[in-house]
Formats: sequence, structure tokens, C-alpha cells
Amino acid sequence: MRRTASISARLTLLFAAVATSILLVLGLLVGNEVERHFVEQDMEVLDGKNHLIGHLLEQYRSPADLPMLVRQLGDSLVGHHGLAAVLIDGAGRRVFATPGAAFPEAMLLGDGADGRPRTWMQDGLPWRGVASRLPTAGGQPAEMRVALAVDISHHERFMASFRRTLWLFVAFAALLAGVLGWVVVRRGLAPLQAMRRDAAAVTADRLDLRLALDDVPAELAELAATLNEMLARLEDSFGRLRDFSSDRAHELRTPVSNLMTETQVALSRARSPEEYREILGSNAEEFERMARMIGDMLFLAQADHGLLVPTREPVDLAAQVRELFDFFDALAEEKGLRLALEGGGSVTGDTLMLRRALANLIANAIRHSVRDSRVEVRIGAAGGGTLLAIENRGEPVPAQHLSRIFDRFHRVDPSRSRDDEGAGLGLAITRSIVRAHGGEITARALPDGMRFEILLA
Amino acid sequence: MRLLVVEDEAKTGDYLRQGLVEAGFVVDLARDGLDGLHLGQTGDYDLAILDVMLPRLNGWQVLAGLRQAGREMPVLFLTARDQVEDRVRGLELGADDYLVKPFAFAELLARVRTLLRRGSRAQEPQQMRAADLELDLLRRRVSRGGRHIDLTAKEFALLELLLRRQGEVLPRSLIASQVWDMNFDSDTNVIEVAVRRLRAKVDDGFETKLIRTVRGMGYVLDAAGA
Repeated sequence: MRRTASISARLTLLFAAVATSILLVLGLLVGNEVERHFVEQDMEVLDGKNHLIGHLLEQYRSPADLPMLVRQLGDSLVGHHGLAAVLIDGAGRRVFATPGAAFPEAMLLGDGADGRPRTWMQDGLPWRGVASRLPTAGGQPAEMRVALAVDISHHERFMASFRRTLWLFVAFAALLAGVLGWVVVRRGLAPLQAMRRDAAAVTADRLDLRLALDDVPAELAELAATLNEMLARLEDSFGRLRDFSSDRAHELRTPVSNLMTETQVALSRARSPEEYREILGSNAEEFERMARMIGDMLFLAQADHGLLVPTREPVDLAAQVRELFDFFDALAEEKGLRLALEGGGSVTGDTLMLRRALANLIANAIRHSVRDSRVEVRIGAAGGGTLLAIENRGEPVPAQHLSRIFDRFHRVDPSRSRDDEGAGLGLAITRSIVRAHGGEITARALPDGMRFEILLA
Repeated sequence: MRLLVVEDEAKTGDYLRQGLVEAGFVVDLARDGLDGLHLGQTGDYDLAILDVMLPRLNGWQVLAGLRQAGREMPVLFLTARDQVEDRVRGLELGADDYLVKPFAFAELLARVRTLLRRGSRAQEPQQMRAADLELDLLRRRVSRGGRHIDLTAKEFALLELLLRRQGEVLPRSLIASQVWDMNFDSDTNVIEVAVRRLRAKVDDGFETKLIRTVRGMGYVLDAAGA
């Protein structure tokens, strides 16, 4: 079996992962924005100095103005902490440089003066700088190259500390999200624990217990309701099974007790051969009934275990019903019943089994008919199959018994004698046979009788 | 008629022997499969009744042994299990009939007689009679004491069966199977009613009652009357 992580663990991890990702992205965005702002700030400073130098160069007409320019540059640039500047004339000579100014070689070459910002490390300090060409007022030379740089170590320090704080915060937030998520999930799943406890209390003896439906979140309420329905079905089936077991014991105990009493009374004193014959005959009848009941019960047991495998041959239902009418003719006539058949249809199935199923239904109809009425069988196509309906006039089965009419040994009136109703297995056998054929059987109470319907494919 | 019965259950075996002897058969009883096979191979029997579950050799093996030895007598199986595969296996091995326990002795007797009669039914009688009752198979007419009796088709078939097997007690299940082709036990008393109606037509108004009910067994038509 594959082990699956608990919902709590999975949700906790999910919360932490989501919180971490969102904070990370946010942190990166903020970090980039701050850095961009710093670059802008640095560039503003550099642009300002560039303008200043450009302004001074506009007054430069010839090399004669050079000392003046150097002085002016020295005034405005030297002493600015963290600022480095180099001025190079047309011949590539350093006209001016702030003390300690150091630039990458490439920036100081002719084509390095492209106005693009650069950053580099110098003596362990980060610098940001730009090199550009600035026009002079005269043609000696017409332009000069200026390289300017600012020390950006304080920005870098800030960014480093900002990032450190960000990571710590993200880690802490992820942890917090995980913990909070775990708490929320545990609280959210608490009803599940409650359901588990409820379910654990359900045993064969306590099938009447149900899961509590109040205080259950909507998502679980449906599950709980479905489980409760399942419990109801189980309770019902279990009840039937229990009834069946006790019924079966009872059904067997009655004839055995009859036989025992009858035999022991017979043996208690000498009797005439006629009397013995009478007693043995009566015993034989009782035995025959028991044998039949055992046979029926075995048949049903086979059906329960799916061992009832019908053969598949075409069966003419009308012909079967006519033959059965013929069989039950004498019985029907005794009660003044008319057996009527309408329609016809064929199904695929086991002739012997289907005949037995129909025989039980017809016998049942005759048994419960009032005198001088009709038992009607109608056969016709319905819902892609063949529908056989049998109706009799008589006392309708009360609604509370209707669902159990096909149960073994179930009798509508428990006080009615066995002789009157058979062993109570006939309809159960009929249903088993119909089901083994993949069909359905239903019973309906009519105002003045009963109607059974068999739907076969 | 000589029958071989192989049955290990002591009481069942004894009762079978007693019942069959009293029905006029000569019966040899074996208590296990090996003895049964030995008897069957050496003796001359008209029919064998074999239990399926036997010690030493089971019923199937006994049957196979008998057939190998060239014994072609009809074989009737007794089985406690009503399983389709058992039936199929029995029929494949050449069993002629089978009965599921518990069975009615009258049923067994009727089946045994049916099996013994098989093959020897050369000349089908066209007329059957018992005392002053006459049944004409060709003209489908029944009369008693010269007086015509009007019967339905099924009543005729029922009377024909009773006449054909005069003196034999016929169980209800056999009657249902032979007359109506209904091969299942019915909870209803339909056979009783049918016989009662036939009896009303055949026996009412006559001194000698031909059709008798044998309580717990079935029905018998007996010219000797009751």
C-alpha cells in the first residue's frame, strides 16, 4: 500500500510554500526597486557633476585657459568625499584628476566614453561611474573626455542588510504560515476526528448509531449524510439477516417439534396398525415439507453465492404461462378463479428456472385471490425488455410489508398457518431466479388486490 | 429383479434395502465403494443405486469401474449436494438418473421402476383396464362399467399414468413431472386437487374405489380396491 502524507502535513507544507513564494517575489521586487532608486540617485549626482564640468568646459577656449579650468575643477570637485573625476584632453593627456581617482582602463580610452554607467570594485570599494565627451568653447581641442565616479559602498551596505532582513523575514513568515496553516487545518479537520469517533462506536449491536450532522462543515455534511444512509442500509440488511436466521430456526423447529411430539405420543402405548399407519403417514407429510423447505433454502443459498447460473435459451413466456395455467387449473377451479393471459413475448433464459419463478407467482396469486375472481397475466414489451405482470383480486399487502414481501419466510400475517401459505420461500426463490437472469421484480398493492411485475431483458 | 445398492450411511442403507425388498426386489447392499464395485463386477444386476459420497471409492469411480467392466445396467445416483457440476459429471459418466437427498422413498421406487421398464417397453398397450375401468389410448376414451366418462386432457393423462403403473404408489412430484412436465416441488396442493377431481369422475357412484391416497406417499390405482 502506498503511504499518503496526512492532509494536515500536506496543507501545512502548501501554506508555507505559498507564503514563501509570494514573499520571495515581493522581496525581489522591492529589492530591485530600491536598487534602481539607488542607481538613479547615483546617476543624478554624476549627471550634476557632468553638467558642472560641461559648464566649465564651455568657457574653455584654448590651452591658455587650462590652469583656470583646473583650478575651477579643483574648487568644485576636490574635497567631495567619495567622488572621483578625471579629465582628459584631445591628445589623451590627463588634464585633471581628483586625488586617488582610479577608473577601469577601458573607460579612459577613446571609445570608452559612451555615457553608459558602469560599476566596479576599486581597493575593496564599489564604485559607479560614467565616462562621456563634453564640448569646449574653442577648437583647441573641440572636446574633452570626462570620467566621473561615486563611491556606492553605503548603498551596497544598505542593500546587503536589506536582503538579509528580507531573507530572515521570509523564513520567519514561511514558518509562521506553516504553523498557522497547521492550526487552521487541525481545527478544520476536527469534525473529521469527531466523525471517526462516532464511526468507531458503530458495531453490529449498535447499528442504530448515526454520525452527528450538526457542527459539521458543509463539505463533510454530505459525506456524513451518505455514510448515514449506508449505515441505514446496513442496519436494514442486518435486521433482515437476523430475522431470517431466527425465522429459519423457527421454521425448522416447528415441524421437528410436531414430529417429536406425535411420535412420542404414539409410542406411549400400544396402538392398532391403522393408527400407526395414520401417524407414520402424517409424519411422512411433515418430513416431505421439511425436505422441500431444505431444498428451497439450499437453492436460495446457491443464489446468494452467485452459483445460480441460468442457461441461455429462448423462452416463450406465453407458452410457459399457458402450461402453468394448465397445471394450476384444478386449483383455480376449486376457488372459482379464471386464469387469463394477454399478450406474449420471448426472453433469453433458463426455461426450468423461469417456469419455477412463474409457478410461484401464479400459486401466490391463486392463494391470495378472493373466490370467483380473475388472475390476469399480461406480457408485453417495455423499456427494452419484456414485462410480465400478474394481478389478482384480494387483500392488498399493507405498505409496511411490501418491501419485505420477497424476504425469506416473511409473512404478512405471522399468525397464519403454514399450510395456508407454504413455507414462505416461494417469492424469495422467484426473486432470486429473476435476479440471476439480470431482471427485476416488483410488487405493488392495488386498491383491491396485488400486482407483481417482472422485467426481463 | 436384482438391485445393487451402495450406501455407506448405515440407516439409509438398511431402509433402502428393506423398502426395496418389500417392493419385490432382490437387493444386495454394499457399505463402501470398493465392495460395491466388486459386487457389481461379479454379480448380475438389473440396476445399481449409488451414493456419490462413499468411502474408499466414490460413486463416480464405482460407475466408471462398472462401465469399464462392461456392465451396462442403469445407474441411479443419490447425492446430498444438488450441484450442477455433479449432475453434468454424472451424466457424462453415463448415470441414468439422480435423486437429491432428502428424497421420498416413493419417488425412488417410481424412478427405479421407470429405469427398469426402459428398453423393455416394446409393445405399448392400446387399451388398459383395471376392474371395470377401461382406457382406450387410441380413441382417447375412458369408460367404467360400460359407462362413458368425460375427462379433460390432463385428467386423461393422469389416469393413464395411474393405470400404466397400477399398484405402484406414485408420489406427487412424479405425477407433476410426468403429467404436467413440472419438475419442481410446489408448495401448493394442486396435485391433491387434481386427483380428487379425477377420483370424483372415476370412482363416485361405484362400489369399488380404484384410486387411493396413501398418506405421506402419494396415490395408487389398485384394482383390488381399498
